[in-house]
Amino acid sequence: MKYFKLVLSLLLLLLIMSCKKGVPKAPSGYVVLSPEVAEILCALGAEADIVAITEECNFPPILASKPKVGSFSAIDKEAIIALNPAIIFASALEQEGQAAELKKLGYNVQVFYPKSLKSMNEEILKLGRLTGKINASQNMRLQMEAAVAAIKAKCANLPRPKVYLEIYRDPLMSVSDSSFVGELIEAAGGDNIFPTLERDYARVNPEAVINAKPDIMICFSQDSLNNIRSRKGWQDIPAIRNKRIYFEKDINPDLIQRATPRCIDGMRSLQKLFFQKDK
Amino acid sequence: MRNKITLALWLIFSITIVFIYLNIGSPSANIISQVRIPRLLLTLFTGMALAGIGSIYQLMLANPLAEPYILGISSGSAFGSILAGVSGFIILMPLGGFVGAGLTMLLVWKLAHQKGRFDKSRLLISGVIAGMFFAAGISLLMYLHLQDTALILGTLMGNLGRIFSSGEWLTFSILLAVSLLILAYLYFKSTAIDILSNGDIYAGSLGINVLHLRREVFLLTSIVIGICVAYAGIIGFVGLIIPHVVRFFIPSGQRRIYLFSLWAGAIFLLVCDMAAKHLLAIELPVGVITAFLGCPFFMWLLLRK
Repeated sequence: MKYFKLVLSLLLLLLIMSCKKGVPKAPSGYVVLSPEVAEILCALGAEADIVAITEECNFPPILASKPKVGSFSAIDKEAIIALNPAIIFASALEQEGQAAELKKLGYNVQVFYPKSLKSMNEEILKLGRLTGKINASQNMRLQMEAAVAAIKAKCANLPRPKVYLEIYRDPLMSVSDSSFVGELIEAAGGDNIFPTLERDYARVNPEAVINAKPDIMICFSQDSLNNIRSRKGWQDIPAIRNKRIYFEKDINPDLIQRATPRCIDGMRSLQKLFFQKDK
Repeated sequence: MRNKITLALWLIFSITIVFIYLNIGSPSANIISQVRIPRLLLTLFTGMALAGIGSIYQLMLANPLAEPYILGISSGSAFGSILAGVSGFIILMPLGGFVGAGLTMLLVWKLAHQKGRFDKSRLLISGVIAGMFFAAGISLLMYLHLQDTALILGTLMGNLGRIFSSGEWLTFSILLAVSLLILAYLYFKSTAIDILSNGDIYAGSLGINVLHLRREVFLLTSIVIGICVAYAGIIGFVGLIIPHVVRFFIPSGQRRIYLFSLWAGAIFLLVCDMAAKHLLAIELPVGVITAFLGCPFFMWLLLRK
């Protein structure tokens, strides 16, 4: 009891001394949690304002030098708060909950999850407005629209090959036309064999794949060519008989799965695969 | 006479179900022989093995809540197979499952012995603990690999729609043959297991090598469960409820209970798989259907008798 007051006052003194006199810094810079937004912002010329990204933001390569605040699905909130950003750009899916929490803390959180070419163009304009790159965003939008129109015109009169995109093997999963990649396949002149599914990315029945007889198979499910060719009952599928199976080395998934300006390159590569003669 | 009619009706029902399963939606001959028959075999085998082993465990562990998954083998197997899957070796998932089952089996077996003596309660407790441990492992994998949720859920809720490449099919056929032999062998052990359920001393006095029998049954059933989970994932409910349902109709005699558990389990899972595929546009996890169909049926049976 004798030393109690002494110890207490010492502790209190320590506590007071450890407090720094902080001058509140005005919020500045962008924290980008979504790889898609990171690409668009860099394409708009706003990369200098990006103060932090997540591990998945791997394009353009210049971003590699930026500090990271966790990964797409495991975000380090304290690191974000320490940066005191002006705007936080998030995606939907796993980030929705995190974005809501950051919003509660008073941050300006903008959620971007374009699911079609049209909404991507709108979001590019919105990003332009938010970052003050209005002209650049308008130009980009016009360029994108022109490029998409040109790609569509190129294959307007060609017969559309039936396309099967496999994103998962066990269980088998594919994409519907209402997903972003599904729209790209259609725009590039392919005919997705699963136009409607319950979700954009959903489980499909192997029998349905066999019955649909796709001419082209794009395999992002890490299966090997030999394995696919020896799948039971798949030998009669034209894509497999004619060896028109394409893998990640043939077409970079990021080009067609991310809603960014690079999807134009993705569409061009898709078109090349669809209309080239047999391998 | 009445028994024979019931048996005949049951036989006709089973054959009809198999026929509908193969022909629903008028598929081509290629699909029937290459896709549906492999799936039919996997489903029948899984249902058989789960229900048959469930009936053995309930008797041997003297616990009506015992089921094939209670000794943790399934969790170990699921953990192994998911680990292989999320590491990018989807083709090797059955192998991972098999290794997981084997290691868990050895662990549980070791823990079940106290000073060299086997203990029934220890077996149950160590099985449950091993199961919990691997369940935590699976949760961790799920948390770390959110992008592979479909695969993990497929393993945890049952996935009978596996695609086989020809190599995988050969492996599965061999394992299937081995499992069927084991299940047949266990049938001939039924009487001994029945006697064992009356107590070790009683069984021993009748000339049964109690220790040896237990070890044998545990090892053999673990192998079969490992194969089941490796290919079909964890499908709950079948192993727990089907033996009880069978006992409603055949109150005693493990030989017949086992045989009819095999049969009813296979047909029940086939019906569930059919419902899972056709109930909604999207294919449902079969483990959900087994519980949805089985629970009300079991309640009805309880109320009736």
